[in-house]
Amino acid sequence: MAGENSTALGHGAPGLLRGLALPAWLCGLAFAAALLAIFQYALRAHVPGELEPGGFTFQNFVAQAHPLYIGVFWDTLLLCAGTAILSLLAGYPLAWAILRTRSRLARSFILAIVITPLFLGEIVRTYGWIVVLGNSGFLNAALAWFGLGRAEMLFTTGGVLAALVHVTLPIVVIMLAAGLAHIEPELERAAQSLGATPARGFFTVTLPLSLPGILAAGTTAFAWTFSAFATPQLVGGGKVNMISNLVYQLGFASFNFPFAAALAVSGLALTAVTLAALSLLTRRVEQRL
Amino acid sequence: MAVEALRLDGVTRRFGAVTALHGASLVVAPGEFVTLLGPSGCGKTTLLNLVAGFQTPDEGEIFLGGESVTRVPVWKRDIGMVFQSYALFPHMSVAENVAYGLRARGIGKAEAMDRVAEALRMVRLSGLEDRRPRQLSGGQQQRAALARALVIRPRILLLDEPFSALDRALRGGLQVEVREIQRAAGVATLFVTHDQHEALAMSDRIAVMCGGRIHQAGTPEEVYAHPADRFVAGFVGDATVLRGRLRGLMGTTAGIEVGQAVLEADATPLRGLSQGAPVDAFLRPETLSPGGPALLSGEVRSVVFQGGHVDVHLDCAEAAGGRAMARLAPMLASGLAAGRVLELAGPSCCAAFPAEEPA
Repeated sequence: MAGENSTALGHGAPGLLRGLALPAWLCGLAFAAALLAIFQYALRAHVPGELEPGGFTFQNFVAQAHPLYIGVFWDTLLLCAGTAILSLLAGYPLAWAILRTRSRLARSFILAIVITPLFLGEIVRTYGWIVVLGNSGFLNAALAWFGLGRAEMLFTTGGVLAALVHVTLPIVVIMLAAGLAHIEPELERAAQSLGATPARGFFTVTLPLSLPGILAAGTTAFAWTFSAFATPQLVGGGKVNMISNLVYQLGFASFNFPFAAALAVSGLALTAVTLAALSLLTRRVEQRL
Repeated sequence: MAVEALRLDGVTRRFGAVTALHGASLVVAPGEFVTLLGPSGCGKTTLLNLVAGFQTPDEGEIFLGGESVTRVPVWKRDIGMVFQSYALFPHMSVAENVAYGLRARGIGKAEAMDRVAEALRMVRLSGLEDRRPRQLSGGQQQRAALARALVIRPRILLLDEPFSALDRALRGGLQVEVREIQRAAGVATLFVTHDQHEALAMSDRIAVMCGGRIHQAGTPEEVYAHPADRFVAGFVGDATVLRGRLRGLMGTTAGIEVGQAVLEADATPLRGLSQGAPVDAFLRPETLSPGGPALLSGEVRSVVFQGGHVDVHLDCAEAAGGRAMARLAPMLASGLAAGRVLELAGPSCCAAFPAEEPA
């Protein structure tokens, strides 16, 4: 009977939770230990030729003030912002179409196109972009066929941006669609009945009401992109560097673990500050709604 | 001659193989309150959406104030619409909501502020300008939506079941209030509902709809007392249906034999029937009263106290379905109980239609 079942669950659930608490604590402990290791490496001196770091120092953070490193931080922030904005611009109409199309077939088709990249690994997706953007790739072949010559796309910021947008788009579309689903279609009809053209209705009613969803999706895309590694590594080919590529080069090419750790900590701090600012903005927007 | 506020000429709307509206024609006079009444799926909402412009007719023409708007988009039609959910903009204050239509028309700030204040005074929401819609009660939200629709001085006000989201207890008062506001604004109104009590209470005229057709358009009294067909007679108000025979047609009246009695009925629906043909006589339950000469009699099955009146249900051989219902004053029903045999006297006239083949 249903009553017995629910009683059994009622007794079982806390026990199950207690059983899961131990592995959860162990995982948490492992993460905390890894983070702690990075923090303590960041504050130790690099001894050339040695894997073991030296004594306590702030030098790893002071050295980051160099224009070279500031440039990489800045480029990373710009790429993240660019990716977030482009994903939102491309994702909004897609999310809209998924919600408002009457045809189930069209809806399934758009969803499939949007979601499939999530099931491909990042490496597969990235190699796909190399094939598309390469000197004899799909796009250049198409350009040549139209007699428009060739364009340098692989190993450029634009190419990396395109690939990064492809990575974030599925999650942005899903988050935007979730936000847009809360907006009653009757509101758009009401705006039109009051004399607003569909465009005016969109900008005065639909868009302001979708701001929380836009901010949430944008924040996620931003944070997601900040930790991107394989995409800029392969599509950027060393010419377009983000923080994680720099950390990789310093850690595994120069074996300067302390400086790599310090860069990682700075990147983490930068992400935290940006996310805090964005979440503050989101809260203010939500209060106004 | 005053121009009609709204005129529909043979408007048809199809959705694929389904025809939602069959050649509907209707006129709303300036300031008139007309209700589209019918069960769900009868086409009343389609008709409202066609007038609003959210859909375009497959055939026929729609005129607002004498001007054809059949191909004019919603935002150029100058309509005011109150939606079932009110559709107030949640990110705007009450005043901003009401001002929305004025701003869309490019009306200056000073004039817009005056008109918003006037509209809010009209619906008694002065002082709540800065509230958000979610901070208003259901009734207040409805009045804010009404102010937003009226402030643009629309050519026609469209009300899409605006009371269905409210508690039953609130509705009566709000119906009276909406009607008073509409009368004060002097705006022609098309009101959609499936609730016959709302329709009877509020309308200047009612258009009763079913299956995509307007069955009858008339004043509440006409529709109630002189239904044009079986559907209207059964849908608007309660009815006890008695089996009878056509005795004869004399001009515009018909004689109907029910048992020993002869009732008068409107002849129009019975034209073409031969003498002695079976007909169904529709009697309003409040026209039946205990006593003689007995029009019908039967064993009481249940006595339902309704406050102001008592509904007595009885088994009755003459009635279609074997059941009859009489609506009596509580005083007359005192002492009635299930199992007693009750004789009821009836009116001298009724509505009658050709008998339906027993299913």
